Amino acid sequence: MEEEAKGKGVSRRDFLKGLGGGAIGTAVISTGLLDPGKVEAYPTESIGTSRGKSAVNLKVNGKAYRLEVEHRETLAEALRDQLGFTGTKIGCDRGECGACTVVINGRNIYSCSQLAVWMQGKEILTIEGLAKGDKLDPLQEAFIEHDGPQCGFCTSGQIMSGKALLLRNARPTEEQVRRALSGNLCRCGNYNREVAAVLAAASKVR
Amino acid sequence: MAQKEFSVVGKKIPRIDGYERVTGQAQYTGDYQLPGMLYARVLRSPYPHAKIISIDTSKAEKLPGVKAVIHHQNAQVPWASGGHTHKRYIFNNPVRYVGDSVAAVAATDRHIAEDALALIEVKYEKISHVLDAKEALKPDAPKISPDGNLSVGKGSFSAPITEEWGDLEKGFKEADRTFEDTYISKHVNNAQIERRVSVAKWEGAKLTVWASTQGVSNARTDIAKDLDLPLSKVRVICKYMGGGFGNKNQAQDYDLMAAVLAKVTGQPVKLEFTREDDFIGMHGRWASEQHYKIGVKKDGTITAVDLDAVTNVGAYRKQSGNLSGTDFYQIPNFKKVVKPVHTNTVVGANYRAPAYPQSVFGFASFLDQIAHELGVNPLDMFMRNRVRLYKSKTPFTSNFLEECIVEGAKKIGWNEKWHKAGATPGAKKHGIGMALGGYPFRPGLGAATIRVNPDGSAHVLVGVTDIGTGAKSTMAIIAAEALGIPLNRIQLTNGDTDVTPFCIGESGSRATSFTGPAVIAAAEDVRRLIFNVAAPQLKAKAEDLDLKDGNVFVKSDPTQRLPLGRAVARSGELIGRATTNPVFKGVEGKSFAAHFAEVEVDTWTGHVKITRYVAAHDSGTILNRLPAESQIMGGVMQGIGMALTEELLIDRPTAIPLNPSYRDAKVPTHLESPEVEVIFIEHSDPYGPFGGKVIGEPPITPAVATVANAIFNATGRRFKELPITPDKILRAVRV
Amino acid sequence: MKSFQNVDVRSIKEAVSLLQKFHGEKKSAQVVSGGSELLQLMKDHVAAPDYLVNLKTIPGLNYIKEERSGFRIGALATLTEIEEHKGIREKLLFLSEAAGEAASPQIRNAGTIGGNICQRPFCWYFRSSNFNCLRKGGEVCYAIAGDNRYHAILGGGPSFIVHPSDLAPVLIALGARIKLAGPAGEKTMPLEKFFVLPQVDYKRENILQPGEILTEVQIPHPKPGSKGFYHKVRERQAWDHAIVSVSAVVQAKGGVCQEARVVLGGVAPIPWRAAKAEDFLRGKKVDEGSAQKVAEIALEGARPMKDNVYKVGLAKSLIQRALLASV
Repeated sequence: MEEEAKGKGVSRRDFLKGLGGGAIGTAVISTGLLDPGKVEAYPTESIGTSRGKSAVNLKVNGKAYRLEVEHRETLAEALRDQLGFTGTKIGCDRGECGACTVVINGRNIYSCSQLAVWMQGKEILTIEGLAKGDKLDPLQEAFIEHDGPQCGFCTSGQIMSGKALLLRNARPTEEQVRRALSGNLCRCGNYNREVAAVLAAASKVR
Repeated sequence: MAQKEFSVVGKKIPRIDGYERVTGQAQYTGDYQLPGMLYARVLRSPYPHAKIISIDTSKAEKLPGVKAVIHHQNAQVPWASGGHTHKRYIFNNPVRYVGDSVAAVAATDRHIAEDALALIEVKYEKISHVLDAKEALKPDAPKISPDGNLSVGKGSFSAPITEEWGDLEKGFKEADRTFEDTYISKHVNNAQIERRVSVAKWEGAKLTVWASTQGVSNARTDIAKDLDLPLSKVRVICKYMGGGFGNKNQAQDYDLMAAVLAKVTGQPVKLEFTREDDFIGMHGRWASEQHYKIGVKKDGTITAVDLDAVTNVGAYRKQSGNLSGTDFYQIPNFKKVVKPVHTNTVVGANYRAPAYPQSVFGFASFLDQIAHELGVNPLDMFMRNRVRLYKSKTPFTSNFLEECIVEGAKKIGWNEKWHKAGATPGAKKHGIGMALGGYPFRPGLGAATIRVNPDGSAHVLVGVTDIGTGAKSTMAIIAAEALGIPLNRIQLTNGDTDVTPFCIGESGSRATSFTGPAVIAAAEDVRRLIFNVAAPQLKAKAEDLDLKDGNVFVKSDPTQRLPLGRAVARSGELIGRATTNPVFKGVEGKSFAAHFAEVEVDTWTGHVKITRYVAAHDSGTILNRLPAESQIMGGVMQGIGMALTEELLIDRPTAIPLNPSYRDAKVPTHLESPEVEVIFIEHSDPYGPFGGKVIGEPPITPAVATVANAIFNATGRRFKELPITPDKILRAVRV
Repeated sequence: MKSFQNVDVRSIKEAVSLLQKFHGEKKSAQVVSGGSELLQLMKDHVAAPDYLVNLKTIPGLNYIKEERSGFRIGALATLTEIEEHKGIREKLLFLSEAAGEAASPQIRNAGTIGGNICQRPFCWYFRSSNFNCLRKGGEVCYAIAGDNRYHAILGGGPSFIVHPSDLAPVLIALGARIKLAGPAGEKTMPLEKFFVLPQVDYKRENILQPGEILTEVQIPHPKPGSKGFYHKVRERQAWDHAIVSVSAVVQAKGGVCQEARVVLGGVAPIPWRAAKAEDFLRGKKVDEGSAQKVAEIALEGARPMKDNVYKVGLAKSLIQRALLASV
C-alpha cells in the first residue's frame, strides 16, 4: 500500500529553509532493476561526451548571422534561444504539429526537424521577418481581420505556410490553401478562419 | 426580444491583441528567457503501479551542467489540487500510472537535462495494477487509493455522484416502452498546441511563476498553499497561453517542481514538457461507460431515465468525473448514479465541458436510436424532449433551445434531407443527424479595476489569461460599453496577480459570467467619480450626467457636453473598482445549442466525410462576435475529433500508452474541417453581463452525438463506442 | 537526443568511404537526407548514432531526368519536387499524387525519395523506447499480444510491421529499379528485391549493408495503353500513414488486361506485390466480376491478427476500385 516517505527525507518546510544544491538525499546505489522490455537506447557511459559543435552561417529575415551551434541543436532552438526569434513555437518537437514552421529557401519546413548545423548558406524567413517596419504583411493583416488566432500558438506556423504558398501561387483556390496548411495543426479548431485569412490575403496582394 | 442598441457590444471587432499574436511578439511562458536560467525535465514512471525502493541520482548529479535533482525523498511537496481523494504529492511513492512523476532535473541546457534523466537509477518493486474502471470496482482489485478504487473525496469530490428527482418507478410504469443500453466513451487528450512549461524565480522570499495557466489567481492560491507561503509572496503571471481546454487551470505539479528547483539552485528554472509528457503526464477527458434505462411514450416523450455509469478518473482524482449530458432534455423522473473510479492510467480530468460531450453522445445517441425503433423522426424526438425546466422544476434565466432547433433544422434543410437510416443505395451513403447541448451559466466571484487617466483613456485590470477565447477582448468590449468610451481608448492589462485583481480563471466558461459583471460594476463605480468631477464643469448635478462615445453630457440637453479627457484633466487618476458575487435565486442559467450535420460515409473504406454542419446557439447577447463564432467552430472541430478518431490507447499487457503523439492520437487536421454555419439565436438574458451567457464550452457538447447520429442515419448501424473509426464502420457494415 | 557529430560530405564516394571507416572503427553512423525521420527516431531514443553522414551537401543529387526509356530520379529529390515535376505529372500522375499524399507539406519539402524508401517502420512498439522489441534486438514482437490494428495481414512473422512508404508500392507497380553505391562499387536491382521479409531477417527492412547508399531510382515508361492508380485509405486525410493503400498499373486493350502490376501498402512488412492475382487477370476482361476475383486471390493467405481483420475486406475493396478505375 502507500509508503510515502514519512519522517524520511525532507519535508516541504525544510527544503524551503535553504536546502542547497549539494545536500540532495543519499540513497543506496543499486543497479536498476530494468524491466526486460526497457531498451537502453545508448550506453550511459557515452552521455556527456559532447561531440559536435560548429559555426554555421545563415541568413534569417534578410540578415546574415554566424552561430555557434551544438550539432544536436535544432533550427527551432537556435532561432528561439540564440537569436531571440520566439515567434516560432515548438509544439511537439517531432515534426507533427507545424507550430515551428518557417520558410527555408522558399519552402515551408518544420524547423524542429532540421538541425541548425544543416542551415549553412540557407535563407530562412520567420514570422518576425514578414512585417516591413510598421507595415504588416497582408497575411498578418488578414489573420487579424479574420480572427485567425484563437490561442495564437499555431498562428506563426499557419501564417508561414500561407506565406510559402503565396510566394509560389498568388491565386490559390480554397482547396489549395487548405492543402498547403494541412501540415499545421490547430487544436482550437480555427481552421476555417485560417483558410479564409490566407484567401483574403491572396486577393489583397493582387 | 428587441436587442438594446450597443456601441461596441455585439459588433465584429478583431481581437485587441491580434497584432501581437500575428507578429510573433506575444510572449508565451516558454518564450521567457531570464539571466542564469536553468532548464528542467521530468523523469516518469515506466510502471503502472510500483513502490520506489531507491533512487540514486549520483551519476546524474555528476554530469557537467546538472545543478539539482529532486524526487520524493528530498522534495516532499504536496500537490493539493492534483488529487482530492488520496493525498497527492509532486512526486509520489508508490507511483500509480505509467507517466507518474518520479524526479526532476535542472541543468544548464535542455539537452543536458534530458541526458541526465537517463542517468537517474530508480529501483522499483512492481505492484499489481488495474486498467479498467469496472475491474477496479471489484473487491479484489489492486487498491490505488487506500480506501478502495471508488474515488471518494470531500464535497464536490464525493462518490458516487447521485442525483434524483420525481418518482422513477412511477415514471417507468407510465412508459409505453422501456429501453436499456450501454454507451462507451474514451480518454481523449486536450492536446493543446502549447506544451506545458513553467518558469520560476525567487527574489528573496518572493516567488514569481510565469505559468501557462488558465487561472493566475487560483494558480497563486494553490502554489501558496502547497509551498506554505503567504499569498503576498507568490506572483503568477500569464499574459498569453497556447490553449489548455481545461488542463491548465490552477497550479500543476510542474509549477511546483520549477519553484522547488529554483529555490534549491538559486537560479530561475524553466521546466518543459515534451509532447509525450503532455499526453501522459497531465490529464485528458475521463472515459465513461454509461448504462441507460429510458422509458418513453409511443410518441417518444420521455417518462423516466435511470443512468448508471462508471467514469475512469485515472490514478488521481483531479476533477468531478461527472456525466451531465441529460441536462438538456426534459426528464420528469430521473435517477443518476455515477461512479468515478481510480485505475492505474493517465488521469481523467477537465477537458472542455468536462461532463458533457461524452454523456450527450451516450444519451442523444440512445434517444436517436429509440426514435428509430419507435418510427419517430429524430427532429420530433429532440424537439419533444428538449428541456424546459431545470431538474423538472426550476425555470431558466432564458431558454431559446426551441428556436435553436427550429432555425438549425431549417438551415440544414432537415425536412427535405432526412430519410430512413441506411436508405442511400451504393457504397457512399448520405446521412443527417442532430443533437442538443449547451452548458451551465453561473454567477460567481469576479473583480475588476478601472483607472481613468487624465487624458480620458482608461486602463482595465482583470485577471483573465485569454486561453484563446478572446476574453481580453471581451472584457475590453464590456468595459468600453459600460464606461461609454471608444474601444481604442482602452488598454487592458491581464494575467498578473501582483497587478490584476482576482479572476476565477477561464474554465467552465466563467470568465465572461464572473468577471464581466465586475467590469461593469467597476465601470459604474468610476463613472460616479467622473460625474462628480464633471458636474461643476457642466453646471449640472452629477445624477443628470451620462457618458457615451467618450463624451460626458447632460441627459436632458446633450449639447451641454465635454470630452472625457477635458472633464478629468485636472483630477489625477480616477480609480473605479468592484468585487462582485451575484447569486441566482430561483433560476438556473444555461446556454443552449442544437447541432445538425450531414455526412457521407464510404462503406468501402470506412471514411466519414462531414459535408455540412450547422450549429445554432442560444448564448444570449453575443458580446464579442468574431471570437464567438470562432469558438463555435473550434468546439465543433474538437467534437469531430472525439467522434471519429481520437483515443488514448494503452498497451494492455504492459499498461504503457501507445500513442502519446499528435499523429498517433489522430488529432484532426485542416482536411478534417467542414464548413460550419453558425446561427446565433440572440435574446438578451436578464442575468448576464449585457445579456450575454456563456459561449466557450457549449459548442463541443452536442458535436460528438451529432456526428454519431448522422453516421447512424447514413449506415443504419448504431455505434455505441467511441471513436467511430474506419475499422469499426467496416466491421459493422459487413455484418 | 544523445549528442553526436554531423559530418557533411561532398560526394557519394566520400559518404561511402566514411561509412566504411566508421564501421571498421565500430563507431555507429547513419546517413541522413531530409532529416525529419531520423531526428524523430533520435529524439525518441530509438536511434542514437554517434555520427550523422549528411548527404544533403552532395551537390546535384536531387535531379529528375526524363529520358527516352524513362525517368531517373536522384535519391535526394524531395517529395515536393517529385510531386510538382511537370514530366512526372504528365506521364505518371499517380506517382505525383502518391508523393503528394505522404506526410505533410513541410515533411515533403524536406523529405527525399531515398529517405522515403529507406524509412523505418512506424509501429508504435518499434518507435517507443519503452519497448525493446524484436526488431530492435529484443526477444518479443509486442504487436502479437498487443494492439495490432495497424499491423500486417500478409507476410508477417516473426515481426508484424507494415512498411510505411507511400512511394515504394507505386514505384514497384511501375517496375522501378534502384541504384546502390557501396564499398564494392555500384549496382542496380529491381526495387522489389530491395525489401526484406521478417522471416528472412526481422531486424532490417531492406538489404542495405554497412557502407551502402541508395543513390538513384529508375522508372521505365509504362507501356502504351497503361493506366496508373493509387489510393491511400487513412484515418486523417493529412499526415497519416496508409491503413491500406493500393497501387496498380494496368495495361489494357479493348478492356482486356495485357499486363497488370498490383501492389499493396499498409498490409505487409514489405510493399506487397499481388503476383498471383496479376497472373489471373492477365488476358481477362476487366469488369466487376474479374476485379472481385482478383481481390480474392490477392488476399488469399492473409493471416489477420486480432485487431486488423478489417484490413482484409478493405484491401479487397480497394483493389476492386483500382482495377475498375483503370479501364
